[in-house]
Amino acid sequence: MLTVISAGSVYLVNKARSDNAWVVHTIEVENQVNALLLEIRRAESGARGYLLTREPEFLADHEAAAAAVLPALDQLSRLTADNPVHLDNVGKLKAAIGIRLDQFSREMDFVKQGKPERAVALVREDAAADTTATIRQIAQAMMGEEERLFTLRTANADRSQTLAASMTGIGSGLVVVLALISTGLVRRSARARDEAEARLRDANLNLEATVDSRTADLREANAEIQRFAYIVSHDLRSPLVNIMGFTSELEELGRDVFRRIGGLTHVPAGGPPVAANEADELPLEAPDKQLSRDFSEALGFIKSSIAKMDRLISAILNLTREGRREFEPVNIDTRELIAGIVETLAHQAAEAQAEIRIGELPDVVSDRLALEQIFSNLIDNAVKYLRVGVPGEIAVRGRTKLGYAIFEIRDNGRGIDPRDHQRIFDLFRRAGTQDKPGQGIGLAHVRALVRRLGGTMSVSSELNAGSTFTVTLPIKWNASNRNAEP
Amino acid sequence: MTQPVTIIMIEDDEGHARLIERNIRRSGVNNEIVPFANGTDAMRHLFGADGSGLVQKGRALLILLDLNLPDMTGIDILRQIKENKHLRASPVVVLTTTDDSQEITRCYELGCNVYITKPVNYENFANAIRQLGLFFSVIQVPSAAT
Repeated sequence: MLTVISAGSVYLVNKARSDNAWVVHTIEVENQVNALLLEIRRAESGARGYLLTREPEFLADHEAAAAAVLPALDQLSRLTADNPVHLDNVGKLKAAIGIRLDQFSREMDFVKQGKPERAVALVREDAAADTTATIRQIAQAMMGEEERLFTLRTANADRSQTLAASMTGIGSGLVVVLALISTGLVRRSARARDEAEARLRDANLNLEATVDSRTADLREANAEIQRFAYIVSHDLRSPLVNIMGFTSELEELGRDVFRRIGGLTHVPAGGPPVAANEADELPLEAPDKQLSRDFSEALGFIKSSIAKMDRLISAILNLTREGRREFEPVNIDTRELIAGIVETLAHQAAEAQAEIRIGELPDVVSDRLALEQIFSNLIDNAVKYLRVGVPGEIAVRGRTKLGYAIFEIRDNGRGIDPRDHQRIFDLFRRAGTQDKPGQGIGLAHVRALVRRLGGTMSVSSELNAGSTFTVTLPIKWNASNRNAEP
Repeated sequence: MTQPVTIIMIEDDEGHARLIERNIRRSGVNNEIVPFANGTDAMRHLFGADGSGLVQKGRALLILLDLNLPDMTGIDILRQIKENKHLRASPVVVLTTTDDSQEITRCYELGCNVYITKPVNYENFANAIRQLGLFFSVIQVPSAAT
């Protein structure tokens, strides 16, 4: 906008200047016309003076004037070259002046030849022809034309100047207004920015406080769960000891009872009661034998269930204990660590005809024991769940990305149904054919460890197409991303 | 001077107490067993009304201690026994369900003489208690008096 206004005012100023130039030009043309007429008059009066007096000064005067006429005419025609009206007039003027000059020269010739009467006659004739009047008329017409142009151009110039002045005025006004507006806008946006900054700062503080309190809550909840699991599993054990203990006592009692029954019912004729020292082969009658078997079977189920429950409780206890263990970050040569694990699994691997290859592995700073548990569980699983009759190929590889070390344990084993990919990480859950011993703890444990080490883990697998477990751990684990334990 | 050893059993679980007693008896130990089901009663008995432990001066004691008690932790009892000049010579056998190595270490640091985990496997439990019975019969409980 300002550009348009300044361009406009520059244009207008230029126009005013050119209009002024035109006005000046008009005045020049008028001057020139006057000068031309003056010269012609001078020539005429010189000629007349010479005719009357024959004084050579008049002749010289006439000749100087006559000589000045043509250049003045040329000058005029140059000046008026732009105006078609003038062009026409200048043409006529030229012709008239030519005739007049011709007359002058003839007059002068007659005078010089000593025929003044002829010159006088000629003068008279000339006056009758009225060339001078014609010249004057044409000059007058030109002056009129110039007068008209002068008025026009003056008006033009005035208008241009007024326009330019008002344009400049408007422009200045606009500049002032715009400056005021922009100052206001800048001030307002600065204020808005300050407010936004203050709000952002507040929000940040709030956010940090919120995050802190949420984190504290989560840690609290996590610790609570850990304590809960620990206490529950611990306290569950106490009654279990009793159940198992008294079940065993009951077993003992039952044996005693059936031995006595045997002794009472199976009295050999006349003989002493049978010595009840052969514990398993009690001399019982068929129905009593059946009772004894049922009794033992019931107790057997109770005992095996107790044993299973004890294993589960122990597993939970171990997990919570792992959760409470403080991690200690040390530099770990991952390749060496994995090679050690592979060595301990060499026997199982040989039995399963599996080959374990160790590829490139990035070193990390982490907890050694946790890492050992993670990788030995995963590699052990890979060896354990191979396909029957297919030689195992297990590969351990690693790479780094953005501060994280990514490890892959790939096998060509039986694979895991995608539906079970989430389940296998749950405690006590297993997937696939249940033909190997296990509690369903390994992967739950591994995932808990990986999480505590600030990492993530995932599996990609298809049934009968092998599995790849991916463990992502921070290259440099330190106490700051450790779970705060109470 | 020999004096029959009294066994102080601090165990809140009646079933455990019964099983322990039964197995001790099975191993042929016939010493008097004084059972307590909570820490407060046991402490009163051990340290007397004034809490000085003077009542037990000169008596031969063997203490069976469970760590999980309803009113206080067995660790506290163990510490106080081992800090009392009249009682600290008495052997303390810690019997508990925990096999947490940290807790075991802590008990030994506080001066516990034997630590036995109560396994769910009853055979192991019974064996441990019977061996404890053998242990009772061979140890010379110091006649704490002097």
